Amino acid sequence: MTRILSVAAALAVVVGSVGIFASPALAHETRSVGPYTFVVGWVTEPAIVGQANALFLGVSETASGKGVEGLAKTLTAQVIAGGGAATKSLGLSADADMPGQYTSDLVPTRAGDYTFRFTGTVGTTKIDEKFESGPNRFDPVTDGADLQFPDQVPPAGDLAKQLADANTKVTIAMALAAVAVVLSFASFIPALRRR
Amino acid sequence: MKRLRTFALVAALALAGAAAAGAPAAAHANYVKSNPAADARLVKPPTEIRVAFSEPPDPKGSQIQVLDEQGARWDEGATLASDEPNGLKVGLKPIGDGGYTVAWTTVSAVDGHETKGSFAFVVGNGPLPSLPDVPNASPAPTPLEVAGRAIGYAGIALALGCALFGLIVHAATGPAEVRRERQLFAFAGGAIAIGSAALVLAEGDRLPPRLELLLSLRLLTGIAVIAALSPRLPDRSRRYTVLVAGIAAALTATLVSHATALGNVKDMALDLIHVLSISTWSGGVVSLLWIYLLAGGRQGDALRRTAWRFSLVALTSVGVLVTAGVLQALDRLVLIQDLVETPYGLALLAKMALLVVILAVASLNLLRYGPRAQRTGLVRGTIVEAGLLAAVFVAAGILTALAPPAQPSGAAFDETQHVAGYRIELVVPTSIPGRNRFVLRVHQGLTAVTVAEKVALRFTMVEHDMGEAELVADERAPGEYVATGSPTAMYGTWKVQAIVRLPGQDDIRALFTVPISQQSGQGATAVALTTKSLSLVVFPDPTLPVAGAPIQLSVIALDGGQPATGRTVTGTITAKDGQPTGGQTFTATEVGAGRYRIDIPALAQGKWTLRIQIGGPQETADYTFSVSP
Repeated sequence: MTRILSVAAALAVVVGSVGIFASPALAHETRSVGPYTFVVGWVTEPAIVGQANALFLGVSETASGKGVEGLAKTLTAQVIAGGGAATKSLGLSADADMPGQYTSDLVPTRAGDYTFRFTGTVGTTKIDEKFESGPNRFDPVTDGADLQFPDQVPPAGDLAKQLADANTKVTIAMALAAVAVVLSFASFIPALRRR
Repeated sequence: MKRLRTFALVAALALAGAAAAGAPAAAHANYVKSNPAADARLVKPPTEIRVAFSEPPDPKGSQIQVLDEQGARWDEGATLASDEPNGLKVGLKPIGDGGYTVAWTTVSAVDGHETKGSFAFVVGNGPLPSLPDVPNASPAPTPLEVAGRAIGYAGIALALGCALFGLIVHAATGPAEVRRERQLFAFAGGAIAIGSAALVLAEGDRLPPRLELLLSLRLLTGIAVIAALSPRLPDRSRRYTVLVAGIAAALTATLVSHATALGNVKDMALDLIHVLSISTWSGGVVSLLWIYLLAGGRQGDALRRTAWRFSLVALTSVGVLVTAGVLQALDRLVLIQDLVETPYGLALLAKMALLVVILAVASLNLLRYGPRAQRTGLVRGTIVEAGLLAAVFVAAGILTALAPPAQPSGAAFDETQHVAGYRIELVVPTSIPGRNRFVLRVHQGLTAVTVAEKVALRFTMVEHDMGEAELVADERAPGEYVATGSPTAMYGTWKVQAIVRLPGQDDIRALFTVPISQQSGQGATAVALTTKSLSLVVFPDPTLPVAGAPIQLSVIALDGGQPATGRTVTGTITAKDGQPTGGQTFTATEVGAGRYRIDIPALAQGKWTLRIQIGGPQETADYTFSVSP
């Protein structure tokens, strides 16, 4: 009986893992790279500015569907915001329970498109692949305004930008005020001279 | 005083009437549409090229050239007017498969302005040729054209302003003043005639007949002003004669302006009011200086009263001038940034800056020298004012020769946004359900942005959840990115997010709201059908199917307002030219939420009927479409 249960459990794991790689989450991009299949996206979707999230990477052998292990040492990941306004190297952590699946923690702080770039090797295959968010791929990061209730809070990045703009305006206002003070004193000079 | 009130009342009524009318933009003769269309892929070569423009082009000065990828010309014969509005056409020699560039140059029949542009098409399956120039480029005006305009405007202003000064403010008395008034009239008449002649010379061989006629009429008004110097004419009659001739000359200026090009009465009225008000003011300043202040030693109350009377006329004119100018600027600028980012805006800004300085000088005359009857101060002030007003006419000469930023594109959708320092313009020539061409122009200031890593357009529908679709645009000309596809498959409102990715920068994102509707004259072929419980929109790609070439039929299916997903969709040929026929069945593939595509390898010429079945046999609808030879 124990043996039957063990076989059933093993079958369930195999079928489950095949299911995962055969039909990945809707908002993940699946791409064949040589003999391997890459699945890339966010661990949590929709990805919202300021909320803890993580890069999801799944690599399997296309022919067998078997997850490829050990890539945390042979692959490096990089996250790119927009056209490269900000880039960051990411360390990959293997999922102990799901062979071939890796994650890397990340808190996106800017709304928009993100690109994940992977370089290195998988087996003997050299890898240099970019995965970009977008329709039929994985979700861009949103500011989450639609989901906030009851108050809508601007993302920290936007607040920082607004603060910087406000500081600039205050500096300009102070400079203009100084000029106005000087001019107002200067306007007294002709009157003082007449006396 | 009664005359002054009457003058102010007439001016106020004219302005109110102008402000109450509609609000257009105006410009040069720009590309609207063509046959073949821009970026068209043709199965068979065309025998002629037809292009329609936003203004009537003059065929004499216009040209359409058709060039292959080696630069060899394939157009044949002269460029002629076509039978469609504002259209030109040119014949073609027999051409083979390959890419062709159509380079066009037009001269507006209204104002004589030249515009250049190009588009491309392909016969067969080859790549589209790249376009070397940004379309609709308008060559800079020549110095002779600017000089002709400035001298002409100065002449009109002098004639009108001097005549009104004599009729309303101060009639020249005594031989010295009358002599000086006649000198100004002679100068005004000469300037009008010389300005008109300079414009005729600047246009050269390409001078359109209508412009030739109006410039000739303006030249005649200049001669009429000079003829009014006849000693047999009483002084008062002379002033009225010059006034009428000046108004006629101002009218010719309006009739060859940007304002008239589109034939909008309100814009024309604003233009005329603008010319009349600046003329009254600037001509009056010169008259005050030359006839009144420099002719004799007027002092005290007489000087004070005349200065005040002229100030009232000038203030009214400036009020009308500024109001008419602002209303015109609002029509002709797309964005406030146009003031510093376009040649037209820079010329307008220079004119406005000059105006501010002139008003500062004029306020000294009005508030300080006039009330105190300080003749020396008034002479000095009006000399500076007159000199600056001359500079305003040079700025006006440049301004009227340049294309305003608000150009009529003839497109169904054309909107510009300013995002993070970049100008992003989305143009959708035909906003119909089905295949559309989306043109995104990206500029930073006056410079085309050519270094974009990626330019994408993302489409989502407001009324229904059709999912998000993306088109990636190719750079077809410097700063011009074009994408063609059918993401806007349904009637309704679509949000189009333009994303411009530049190296090392945050993405530039602009969100446009594009209405998609089936309007006549856009070549729309989408048809709304219903089955027992579903609503369908069906359209072919290409828009006009050709015999022997592959046809894709897009079927959008809605079930209770939501996309009908996961259905089995088939299309069966049931009739040709109205006769039942046993036909082939094609199975559709689902290409998006509720979006299905039926691929038909080829059909013969004729009118075909396809029975579309969605799911069970109850859910059917017949779609009829034509296949051309």
